Amino acid sequence: MRALALALWGAVLLGSTLSGRLDLLLNGVFHPLVGLSGVALLVLAGLVLKADRDLAIGPGRRPSTPRSAQLAIGLSIAIALLVLAIPPNPSFSDLAANRPAELGEEAELSFVLPPAQRTLTDWVRLLRSQPDPSLYAGDPVRISGFVWPQDNDQPQLARLLVRCCLADATPVGLPVRWPAGQKPRADQWLAVQGTMAMEEHNGQARSVVMAEQIRPIPRPRRPLEP
Amino acid sequence: MERLATAWAIFQGLLIEALPFLLIGVGIASLARWLAPGGAWLRKLPRDPLLGPLTGAALGFALPACECGNVPVARRLLAGGAPLGTALGFLFAAPVLNPIVLASTWAAFPNQPWLLAARPAGALLLALLLASVLRLLPETALLDPVLLEERRLSQPLAAVGLLERRTGLVGAVSPPPLPAKPTRPPLQEVLQHGSREFLDLAALLVLGCIIAAAVQTLLPRSWLLAVGEAPTLSVLSLMLLAVVVSVCSSVDAFLALGFAAQVTPGALLAFLVLGPVVDLKLLGLFRVLLQPRAIAITAAAATVAVLVLGQWVNLVLL
Repeated sequence: MRALALALWGAVLLGSTLSGRLDLLLNGVFHPLVGLSGVALLVLAGLVLKADRDLAIGPGRRPSTPRSAQLAIGLSIAIALLVLAIPPNPSFSDLAANRPAELGEEAELSFVLPPAQRTLTDWVRLLRSQPDPSLYAGDPVRISGFVWPQDNDQPQLARLLVRCCLADATPVGLPVRWPAGQKPRADQWLAVQGTMAMEEHNGQARSVVMAEQIRPIPRPRRPLEP
Repeated sequence: MERLATAWAIFQGLLIEALPFLLIGVGIASLARWLAPGGAWLRKLPRDPLLGPLTGAALGFALPACECGNVPVARRLLAGGAPLGTALGFLFAAPVLNPIVLASTWAAFPNQPWLLAARPAGALLLALLLASVLRLLPETALLDPVLLEERRLSQPLAAVGLLERRTGLVGAVSPPPLPAKPTRPPLQEVLQHGSREFLDLAALLVLGCIIAAAVQTLLPRSWLLAVGEAPTLSVLSLMLLAVVVSVCSSVDAFLALGFAAQVTPGALLAFLVLGPVVDLKLLGLFRVLLQPRAIAITAAAATVAVLVLGQWVNLVLL
């Protein structure tokens, strides 16, 4: 049983790495570590299985496993099977709603891409480092992200930044003026084309995307930004 | 239903992130068991109330792991008969005092050099305090019974209290300890032992991650950060956040970076010092080392100490 539990944990780690599930859960730097740990656990499971067999063939009684250890093994097997069977499918807007939205002051950016090539995160970083909306008015915008409903405002288009794992996801969002009559659904992934404009919000000027073309897209393979 | 799906994803994220570090920790502990059987060197570590925890803390530089990987190593130290203070110093300080964590703190806050000094200093102070507080308890009230049993096997009989002895002659002068003849355990046994330890800890880690994921999804984090500007409340709210979020100490600095602009410096330091010692994910893992009462004392003492530290930093820097 112990070998089975180890093998299942190994399968969870290696399987998540190979299937791309980790793209939805962890920052990319940890992926190789997770994959290697999966391989190590599978090897360990093989060695433990072999040792158990040798023990079963040899003379003498097999040592019994204490109850607490049996419980631990049972829990491991059950949870590992559940993790293998039920892939994660988080609601991005739910994750974003429970997180502080502020990134803090961004240091001056070393280089800036031309407007049409900037991703949503690039735009947010740029607006944080040089928050003067008049600089960007009229720039073309081509971004994609998920729809993040706001309490007293129109929904924003957002991405999640993850430094470690999903537990520390931090949303970055851009205010969007949606075309009249269009109300995007929360969590929907959209590609938006339009232009940057300036507007008054709570007495302050801010940059806002005037959406012109909106196209639903599937969730990207790597939905989290480092 | 959506909430549940999100909690399930956070659970998987926390668990899959922590398992490799747990494996590394168990690997280090097993290697130590194989390379230094009997652990004679462990018993030679200093017993001094101050020097002991300091030595333990310094061991963190040799055994870099985050807090989940640290638990099996600390357990190995205690089971091998290392002085209590040294093992506790290692347990509480090493998750911060190691090259990986210091490097990530520096990477996250290159413009706040005070934090780079204050974080390890705070962690060391906290470890010294916790080690001195926990040493007041007798080992029988402090350590998990199974661990205590293992520890007794590697201690000379004379070090064990009369009432705790199961063998030996009452009244007779205890014979000088036999010269240690440690034999290297067969590799197979080390594997078996390590795999058992990994599975025990994995089960506890699962429980911790379930609690952390549930609390995170149900408790809006905006509540925790709404009080950012008030000095005391900001310290308290970031301490609560550290306990709830339960991320690894090797990356928590990057998380702290996310709200560094909104909170007081004392709160930031409190987050970085408390998280590696007390969090929901760890409370399960600590069960293989300490008795519930000792865990409660650790949590309470760490909370008070970190609150005072955060307040003091705010007083000086604000």
